[in-house]
Amino acid sequence: MKVALFLTCVNDGLFPATGRAVVEVLESLGHEVDFPTEQTCCGQLHLNAGYQREGLHVAQQFRRVFEPYEFVVSPSASCVGTVRESYRNAARTMGDPRLEADVEELAGRVYEFSEFLTDVLHVTDVGARFPHRVAYHPTCHSLRTLGLKEGPKDLLRAVKDLELVDFKGSDQCCGFGGMFALKNAATSVAIGVDKVTSVEDAGAEVLCALDNSCLTHVGGVASHERLPLRTMHLAEILAARE
Amino acid sequence: MTKTFNSESAFPKLAQAELGNAQLRANLARATTTIREKRLRVVKELPDWEELRSAGAAIKDYVLDHLDELATELESNVTRRGGVVHWARTGEEANEIVVELVKATSASSVVKVKSMVTQEIGLNAALEHEGIAAYETDLAELIVQLGDDLPSHILVPAIHKNRSEIRDIFIEEMGRSGLAAPAGLTDDPAQLAAAARAHLRDRFLSATVGISGANFLIADSGGLVVVESEGNGRMCLTLPQTLISVVGVEKIVPNWESLGVFLQLLPRSSTGERMNPYTSIFSGVTPGDGPQQFHLVLLDNGRTSALADPEGREVLRCIRCSACLNVCPVYERTGGHAYGNTYPGPIGAVLVPQLRKGNRSALENSLPYASSLCGACYEACPVKIDIPRILVKLRTDVVDAQRVEHPNNPELLSMKAVDAMFSSPRRFQGLVRFGGLLARVVRRTKVRHLPPPLSAWTSGRDAPLPPAESFRAWFAATHPSASTPSAAPTSKPPATSRAESTTTAPPALREDDARDAMIESLGSPHHGVHDGTPPTGSFSFRRVGELSSDERVAQFTERLVEYRASVVEATKDGVADHVRSFLARQGSTSVIAARDVPPSWLADTASVVAFDDPPLSVAQLDDLDATVSGCAVAISETGTIVLDAGTHQGRRIISLIPDHLIVVVEEPQIVELVPEAVARLDASATQTWISGPSATSDIELERIEGVHGPRVLDVIIVRAS
Ligand code: SF4
Repeated sequence: MKVALFLTCVNDGLFPATGRAVVEVLESLGHEVDFPTEQTCCGQLHLNAGYQREGLHVAQQFRRVFEPYEFVVSPSASCVGTVRESYRNAARTMGDPRLEADVEELAGRVYEFSEFLTDVLHVTDVGARFPHRVAYHPTCHSLRTLGLKEGPKDLLRAVKDLELVDFKGSDQCCGFGGMFALKNAATSVAIGVDKVTSVEDAGAEVLCALDNSCLTHVGGVASHERLPLRTMHLAEILAARE
Repeated sequence: MTKTFNSESAFPKLAQAELGNAQLRANLARATTTIREKRLRVVKELPDWEELRSAGAAIKDYVLDHLDELATELESNVTRRGGVVHWARTGEEANEIVVELVKATSASSVVKVKSMVTQEIGLNAALEHEGIAAYETDLAELIVQLGDDLPSHILVPAIHKNRSEIRDIFIEEMGRSGLAAPAGLTDDPAQLAAAARAHLRDRFLSATVGISGANFLIADSGGLVVVESEGNGRMCLTLPQTLISVVGVEKIVPNWESLGVFLQLLPRSSTGERMNPYTSIFSGVTPGDGPQQFHLVLLDNGRTSALADPEGREVLRCIRCSACLNVCPVYERTGGHAYGNTYPGPIGAVLVPQLRKGNRSALENSLPYASSLCGACYEACPVKIDIPRILVKLRTDVVDAQRVEHPNNPELLSMKAVDAMFSSPRRFQGLVRFGGLLARVVRRTKVRHLPPPLSAWTSGRDAPLPPAESFRAWFAATHPSASTPSAAPTSKPPATSRAESTTTAPPALREDDARDAMIESLGSPHHGVHDGTPPTGSFSFRRVGELSSDERVAQFTERLVEYRASVVEATKDGVADHVRSFLARQGSTSVIAARDVPPSWLADTASVVAFDDPPLSVAQLDDLDATVSGCAVAISETGTIVLDAGTHQGRRIISLIPDHLIVVVEEPQIVELVPEAVARLDASATQTWISGPSATSDIELERIEGVHGPRVLDVIIVRAS
């Protein structure tokens, strides 16, 4: 199967290892990955902050680049959530029904990486080995926007020698929230501190999620608090052969 | 003097102050965790919860589409039942109306049932300004009022206080305005509740004017529904001669059947109970029972302008359950005061800017950003308000206003710059390359300090640095043929234009035109899909139970026992034995009953029996120990007994004042589900729904039995065979 990778701006700029991991996992399963180099961002930052005009401008770039593909896969639940929900909402706010129909059609072809594995490819064991204690944080967009509950955990459970640890309040937000992290920095950090404390209490070495943006925040808090917690995108664990 | 919110500060600043309060953080974390768990437990046990939510949302949407018609229907029904309806376009108008009504009674004080809307309009301050004392009677409101504090939660305004702080407030303040706290008061919640009972008792018994809000207004019967726990609501709705209810006009529901939906959604979402201890339902004036003067003040105060916003009107579905506060990660850390107004939490963040459209103070501009958009509120909301979507819409309003008013503000300029970067592949790739370059120079993986505005990030978080090799470089090297720019032809983005604003300011009108002006604005300019028929009958939630009669009796018993009521089963002839032993157990030596109770219920009792015929005075009732009453319907799933002043029951007051209530329930009166009970009841009857003894969850959200209503509830189930 041929899939287009939408890496996302955050991963493009800061987390290339996640992109590499996605490519490796998909190729190891026998699929072909295309990377349209003109891709930039989904527009989430703007759309969530109230800059609908600019956000839709970026969204048009996304649409132009990914229009031709049947399967678009992205290692970010929040970016996929943006394509699925925010585009439509923004088109409504702007009073543009044509755009609404266009983005609705596109949304059906864009998948979050773990969702693509479990729901399209029907794979849970990708042959990974990762002998560590891992906590899975369901980010708000994976859990509530995309409704991904057991899929990512099934993937982790199938990883050899990985111990999946539960922690208190796992389904609560980590406090990132895009612009929220800057506009309400103190509250955002307070929520983040509670999150890392609870993960630490559960004895996890690694915190894993489907969004590097949230992990940047949580990992940044942990590092600021001088905690040894490591953060990793799910794809990187699935690509691990330790 | 009553404190009022008067905040011009933005949310982040107010939050900063609250975040530093460790005690507050601990209180909130404990309370919200408790209530979240309770809510989940009782929501999970309803197989049709999602259908109920959809039904709740659809009924409210129907209402929003027909508010003009429903409000006039309500008005005519309330009037027909002996009430007077007033229309208030603004908070000031409502306050003026209430002040005049109270003055006309020459009362110097009023007792109040907890009401968000009277806080919204600052009614207490308006009354005090005229020399009228307004006494809050809900336990949490009392704590806030005595502590000269501000409410911080919709349901539990004193959620930010823990038990020992509450004890201190009681000891210091109760004596200043009435009966002092008893000596040696501890922080045991039951003792605190008892102190509140004693402090307020005389105030209730001598009150001449009561003021309330309402949870629902039933258009087709003119009924008001007041949902509560402690019995203070029943006191205020039953004892004073004059009752004034101030209610937001969006609280209307089309018909009686709607309660079958909302009385399931509301208690489970708010206190996490299957049913709240008391719900009072009445319309207009009930001759000989309760207030003989009834005034309903219908309030607009921004609601019609919210209604005119097709994308934001959904906020008016809100039933003020506070579930969204309890699940909100932001609220849990900052508490309610950071929201700077009566309505805190996620609903406050959307409702306040909607009610104050056009008002662009720092607070209103900041509220839509007081959320991480995590979506927990939407998931919990019993009427499915998509709060995250509305927050984004309101942010758009803020930004669009900035574009006009402050086109050069730094945020706008940087967002435009980022847009320019992100919508050009060439510039974006340049940025990624620059990141790699930076990484090679800095040679670190994280930074601890960034310059403003990014210093906000590093105030509590380290930041990552870009890696030396970008994904693009790696992919190009490893997949020389796969990197395609884009196969799609470049198409011009379709022009998008902002829809014309449909909000128009209501024209200034004279006071006596308020009614017509309000009704006109209630005639929605955005009629949705609904035609003229309320959608109540068309939903798939459970309307009929499946349990056998034996199973219903068993379930009813189990629920009542959970509420700490005593339950016995009896034969038709065995009622008197149980009545006698219940009276003896409590040491109740005097008992009241309606004139029509079967003499066999009270045969051979050693207690003095009084019949409410002629009606007893409040003082006489207060001297009696117990009440024996029949009921109209009982609900097994929620352990609820409904009194409707019908056969074997009598006036509302007789099941309220004596401290010990014995109810005789006949087996055929027990239904399984709330909608079944609703179907059996007469919409025009004055009703009291009782689920266990009076109780409060106002101290750290733990349920404590026994506040203002009867503290002991005994139930005798008369088996059919
Ligand atoms: S918005 Fe929904 S969850 Fe929040 S108080 Fe209103 S009804 Fe309850």
